[in-house]
Amino acid sequence: MRILGGGVTDVGRVRSNNEDCFRLVQPLNLFVLSDGMGGEAHGEIASALAVETVVKHCMEAETNPAAPLYGNPPAGLSKHAKRLVSAVHLANRNIFKSAEEHPEQGGMGATLTAMWIDGNVLSVAHVGDSRAYLLRNGMLQQLTSDHSLVAEQVRRGIISANEAEQSDMQSVLLRALGTQPQVEVDSEEQELFQRDVLLLCSDGLTRMVTDPEIAGTLQAETDPQKASERLIAIANENGGADNISVIVVRLENESKGWFSWLRPGGRKHAGTNGSAGGH
Amino acid sequence: MPKLSLMFEGKTVKEVPLGNRPITIGRSPDNDIPVDNLAVSNHHARIYYEGARLVVEDLDSLNGTFVNDLRVERATLHDGDSIHVGKHYIKVDASHDAPVPYDMGRKAAAPAINETMVLDTKARRDMLQQAAAMGERTQFASGRIKVPTIVVLSGSTASKEYVLTNRLTTIGKSSMATVRLTGWFKPQMAAQISQRDDGYYIGPGDKTPTVNGTPIPGPVRLNDGDLIEVCSVRMNFIFRD
Repeated sequence: MRILGGGVTDVGRVRSNNEDCFRLVQPLNLFVLSDGMGGEAHGEIASALAVETVVKHCMEAETNPAAPLYGNPPAGLSKHAKRLVSAVHLANRNIFKSAEEHPEQGGMGATLTAMWIDGNVLSVAHVGDSRAYLLRNGMLQQLTSDHSLVAEQVRRGIISANEAEQSDMQSVLLRALGTQPQVEVDSEEQELFQRDVLLLCSDGLTRMVTDPEIAGTLQAETDPQKASERLIAIANENGGADNISVIVVRLENESKGWFSWLRPGGRKHAGTNGSAGGH
Repeated sequence: MPKLSLMFEGKTVKEVPLGNRPITIGRSPDNDIPVDNLAVSNHHARIYYEGARLVVEDLDSLNGTFVNDLRVERATLHDGDSIHVGKHYIKVDASHDAPVPYDMGRKAAAPAINETMVLDTKARRDMLQQAAAMGERTQFASGRIKVPTIVVLSGSTASKEYVLTNRLTTIGKSSMATVRLTGWFKPQMAAQISQRDDGYYIGPGDKTPTVNGTPIPGPVRLNDGDLIEVCSVRMNFIFRD
């Protein structure tokens, strides 16, 4: 399968700084996104540190598979999923340590959602409320459970999904990186099929753009970079209340077909390194 | 405080103040404004604030909801409007100040807690408990854990029972499929079940499954006891205690 990726981050229309951060590591098919929080510019530090730690840990494991694993990843997971979970634990540790060493960074934290594709197997690891979605056969499915107060209330049947969308408690997280010495990391593996589309995004997208709008955009725009730009534009049209980050990954058929030479084939999709502005 | 008055043959039968909660109208006695008339559906309509706007919404009633004699699906209400359900009228008195809306619309205003914050374990427990005490639907919070399960009734699958543990469950021939179909000509991924915060939804894969005999082209929420059929495999979706 051919894997094409694109990504964009945007400050939105209300905030003055962008605390989101993302990275596409195309050679590894590794995609990482983080939404930072904390006063001053500390949210930016936290999200950048989270993304950097995860990418570095996974890249190191490619050259040294015996590198230590952090946080005891579940035994049933594949090699890549274990490594991804380990990376998120390490990111938590690094942010927590940084905040301890620099008291002015106290209270900083970050969400983290990462996907790693190995062949036709997708590994997802996450903490917080940045989401991973899969669009398959026109059905948009969230692959992650938000670690937010309102999502937990919906799961417990205390409020409805609609009430959650209207709640003024949406920004309250139950889990984030860097606020505690230890963190629980969610992980899951999925089989991927041709024509699947994956989406990683910060809550700046999902609070501004509805699921049908997301699904429609991903179906209409087949270029991942343009689809990411379009989603950001819709979020801004709808208010852009928060920073918005989007990574779109599309899986395409490898076999070229008999008449492939007629098409403008071999289009290169440059790897994008996205990072919030200002550092 | 703004209020709704239920009128019948020129007389006020009932008055209901308009607050933060939606007001429901219908024949069933569990409505805020019960209307005992066969022309009125059990859950006929509801009225609520959306931001500062007062809105009436017809709940797919058989005979319709009318605002100033125009049939509406959904309409903004103004002071002095009359809503017509069956032979009853509901007068809207919104001349007083609107209550502080609990819902400013997610696109209309920034959330009250604007900065993202994390609850530590204790604060989190307290907050959830508080919320549970306030909530109406506390049956799930009371601790009975229900396990979503697929029981295969007929057809060839690798196993006869599957507990749904993942966010996404696939039904198909693929070796990684949760519910693995066996036999000739079965698609790799016939159908998929996704877990959302409010339940489990089934949707098509390479085939269109049926739920209780109805083909479903798009995601449909599964209820306890639903019968699923895809690729001549019949399955029961149940919640085990």
